[in-house]
Amino acid sequence: MTSVRKCLIWDLDNTLWDGVCLEGNVRVRPEVVHSITELDRRGILQSIASRGDADLARQALEQDDLAKFFLAPQINWLPKSKSIVRICRELRLSCDAVAFIDDDRFEREQVSYMLPGVLTLDAHCAPELPGLADFTPAENTPEARDRRRLYQMALEGSRAEADFASRDDFLAACRMRLTVRPMAEPDIPRVRELMTRTHQLNTTGLTIGSSDLEKIFHEPSDEPRVMVAELRDRFGEYGIIGVAIAESARPVWTLTSFAVSCRVMGRGIERAFLASLVRAAYSRGYTHSEAAYRETGRNRMMRALYQMMGFRMSGRSADPDTLLFRARSEEVRPVPKWVEVE
Amino acid sequence: MGTNHKTIEATLTAYIREECLSRNGQTELTDETDLFEAGIVDSAGLLSFIGFIETEYGITVPDEDLLPENFVTIARIAEYISAHRQVQPA
Repeated sequence: MTSVRKCLIWDLDNTLWDGVCLEGNVRVRPEVVHSITELDRRGILQSIASRGDADLARQALEQDDLAKFFLAPQINWLPKSKSIVRICRELRLSCDAVAFIDDDRFEREQVSYMLPGVLTLDAHCAPELPGLADFTPAENTPEARDRRRLYQMALEGSRAEADFASRDDFLAACRMRLTVRPMAEPDIPRVRELMTRTHQLNTTGLTIGSSDLEKIFHEPSDEPRVMVAELRDRFGEYGIIGVAIAESARPVWTLTSFAVSCRVMGRGIERAFLASLVRAAYSRGYTHSEAAYRETGRNRMMRALYQMMGFRMSGRSADPDTLLFRARSEEVRPVPKWVEVE
Repeated sequence: MGTNHKTIEATLTAYIREECLSRNGQTELTDETDLFEAGIVDSAGLLSFIGFIETEYGITVPDEDLLPENFVTIARIAEYISAHRQVQPA
């Protein structure tokens, strides 16, 4: 179980800067700037939950060129636990994946009480954040360095939806293209990272190390065992957002591990990826498809996905905690019409 | 029972309009719309929707019931709810 947090949520007054914004001049703490830029470089997302006037705070952040670092900032008069829930919803993160830093003990206690999964930190810790294990991912991939921009893109996408007459029109206008291909050696760090970071859309919750991935990659096999999915749409490129590991013995194709980034949740990408894998297997003679699922307490969505796609529970694997789902390959629901797969 | 069923469908439709569709959109939504094919509900949305149904109707939806025949249209969901609601004492 990794303890690395995906997002750090900042209080502003007397935490990010000295002073109270509504009362006049504030001065950003220089040591805080270093922590913000370093966490950003590591792919830790950052946001704001602060009380006060949103316009004034934004101006102050822009003066120091810091506004760009924060996604879905919440500057309002709501309880901070509410702001944190909003941030998690917008970024599609679980509350267990975020940390919150504030100088006010009452605020920290209130957040811990309402949202026990959130890691709370005293503002004194701000200069030491880069040294904490909670903000030190095992690997630093190109996707990680670009993560803020990728999330920004996804946020713009969901906001753009308001301009379209129907959900179909909106999804089609996004021009989503999913490239499904065998994993290549340089993909290994990103694939490992994806499996480690993904909890809600991960069928087994099992973490596979780089060396295991390399082993699978180099094992002689008739067919590639690890497939990856890359997404792009009219807002830009998202890189590798899905990974599937399969084992197969004709006529049954078995998906042993399947994970999709929560960043692209809510637009049918997991369905498109699964459907295209099954379709490709079917064309190679696998009349039946099987998929493993191990309940982790957070991945019920994946069981729902299998069942809604046409799989039915068929038994348990050698590991009694792992359920197997099966379908006739040709009966699995197709790729959603708004996603183009290549 | 008939009106009851209609009330359930109306409640579900209101939820979908509020939570899954854009405010100013005009997505066609009937009791028979395939919520998945139309891109209105997907894996994440389904679980939030089920959370709403469980609270609203006091039922528990076990994992094995998360099937297309129960959840693919508003009509099917309303039938599922009607069938699983506890009979209220008179």
